[in-house]
Amino acid sequence: MIKITDLVKTYKTGDIELTALKGVSLHIKPGEYVSIMGPSGCGKSTMMNVLGCLDKMSSGQYLLNGKDISRLSDNELADIRNKEIGFVFQSFNLLPRMTILENVELPMVYAGVPHKERRAKALEALSKVELSDRIHHKPNEISGGQKQRVAIARAIVNRPSVILADEPTGNLDSKVTEEILRIIQELNDEGTTILMVTHEHDVAQHSKRIIRMKDGNILDDSPVENRTIL
Amino acid sequence: MNIFENIKMALDSIRSNKMRSFLTMLGIIIGISSVIAIVSLGQGGQNSITSEFEKIGAATVKITVNTSKAEWSDWITFDDVERIKEKINNVKYASMSLTMDGVLRTGKKSLDAYFIGGTEDMVKIEGLTLLDGRFFNRYEYQSGKAVAVIDENSAKRLFGTKDVVGRTLEAGPHDSMRKVTVVGLIKSPYEMFADMIPEDQFPVIAYIPATYLVNLYSEQKAVYQIYIMADSKDNAKTAGELTVRFLENRHGNRDREVYRAETVMQQMDQINQVMSIFTTFVAAVAAISLLVGGVGVMNIMLVSVTERTREIGIRKAIGAKTRNIMFQFLTESVIISCLGGTIGLILGLAGAYGLGQLAGITPAVSPQTVIVAILFSTMVGVFFGIYPARKAAKLDPIEALRYE
Repeated sequence: MIKITDLVKTYKTGDIELTALKGVSLHIKPGEYVSIMGPSGCGKSTMMNVLGCLDKMSSGQYLLNGKDISRLSDNELADIRNKEIGFVFQSFNLLPRMTILENVELPMVYAGVPHKERRAKALEALSKVELSDRIHHKPNEISGGQKQRVAIARAIVNRPSVILADEPTGNLDSKVTEEILRIIQELNDEGTTILMVTHEHDVAQHSKRIIRMKDGNILDDSPVENRTIL
Repeated sequence: MNIFENIKMALDSIRSNKMRSFLTMLGIIIGISSVIAIVSLGQGGQNSITSEFEKIGAATVKITVNTSKAEWSDWITFDDVERIKEKINNVKYASMSLTMDGVLRTGKKSLDAYFIGGTEDMVKIEGLTLLDGRFFNRYEYQSGKAVAVIDENSAKRLFGTKDVVGRTLEAGPHDSMRKVTVVGLIKSPYEMFADMIPEDQFPVIAYIPATYLVNLYSEQKAVYQIYIMADSKDNAKTAGELTVRFLENRHGNRDREVYRAETVMQQMDQINQVMSIFTTFVAAVAAISLLVGGVGVMNIMLVSVTERTREIGIRKAIGAKTRNIMFQFLTESVIISCLGGTIGLILGLAGAYGLGQLAGITPAVSPQTVIVAILFSTMVGVFFGIYPARKAAKLDPIEALRYE
């Protein structure tokens, strides 16, 4: 599924060179549910960006579903992001001028799916996150939890093999957090690989495996005992 | 990702910023509408000049003496005019056109006037329309009779009536005036200027046999300019050339190139050329405002890209390729300028017809003008949209997502 070997990522800001990832190796198998934890600046966001094909690595190897990502062009990476990866962000990142339905349809627009099929698939994804009314509203007319459900629907609509969730419950209260985590768990139960960044231990406790990072290295990688199942 | 998706997105974005989009379009609207108005009025003006000239007679040729080269003996005599008509087959009519300043006086009024002296053919060559009486005839010309033909405007101002045939008035330079009899009344040749000049300021004119006019002013029977009319439009050029050769033979000045023949159509071409240079120049000045409009489009598109940095980041994260983003913004700028171009086209046409009504010109709108206007505004959209669109397409997705 995901296999990274000796992943190094350095940033250059003027004369200062900053190494965010110092040779990380990681293997995630299909159907896993992994939390990445660590203090800010530990490199977890950088790792998510590289794994999400938003950022290019400085050195190392990245195989996604057996495909070498390291040498791909920007447009090929865009294609991978579109078809293989679903993003869920802390701040939802919905497009404010579009309706809920249009937001969910957008990845399929870029995938070249015809209009009718797009609508059907978007409605299917929305029903999966239990949001079938208010789909013609704009994002600013619904609650935070509903926004995140829309974002999840958008992430799964192209049936990606992996979902990358960056603090998906960071902006939500505990009741809504539970709803979102339940949806994520359901997706995992259906076979989707989940990779989630969080700094809340309670949230990480829902996953099957926790990776702790510090200073650009993996500190600890262990399965979750007494996992919370919703 | 097809073109309709792009157009829909662009229209959504334009709609959500109505005022801003309209102000951006304004530059294009002003540019296109002024170019359209100027070009169609200019073209309309040329058309009306052409039709006026054709009315006068496409078969008419002006023969001139180059007065800077000519000696007195080279001037065209009244006898020459008779011989030209007699000897050259293609020449149907011939007349001098001799103009003199003077005064016309009736019992109650005295007005400054122009006397135009010619042969009896003048009525044909100048395309005059008789309203009453007749033009002076061959006999009156040859024997230099004191007769005149005046136009209705002059008649009204001199006599207070149009019923003037058979009446007499005094004509000539103010210090030696003589009695002449009015034999005919013609339509005013200045009527087409009625929109621009009040009728009581039209020149007062009288057509008089040239033989009598030179007598009245004690002038010689020779002129530096005559008009001939060929038997057909196609023969105009030949008739002119034959006349020049004929005159050269009679005056024995073949080697000096004293005479020149110019058809009315050639004169018209010259006027039209000047007109179109003028039109092009004014249109070019107006086109500069299009350029300014284009800069406005670019400016607003750059603002739009900055404002929507986060949107671009999101789109890229969920799989938009560089060209998707590029076309999205390019479509927007093209639609803004095309819409502006279309509105400008409509306003320009309305303006052309409105101004045309005031100036008495029927604007001429060619399909080419319309196509060029739309095409040009599209090109402005592409040209000034490409830089902002590239800027948007090249944004780094991570930085764009982080943008607040």
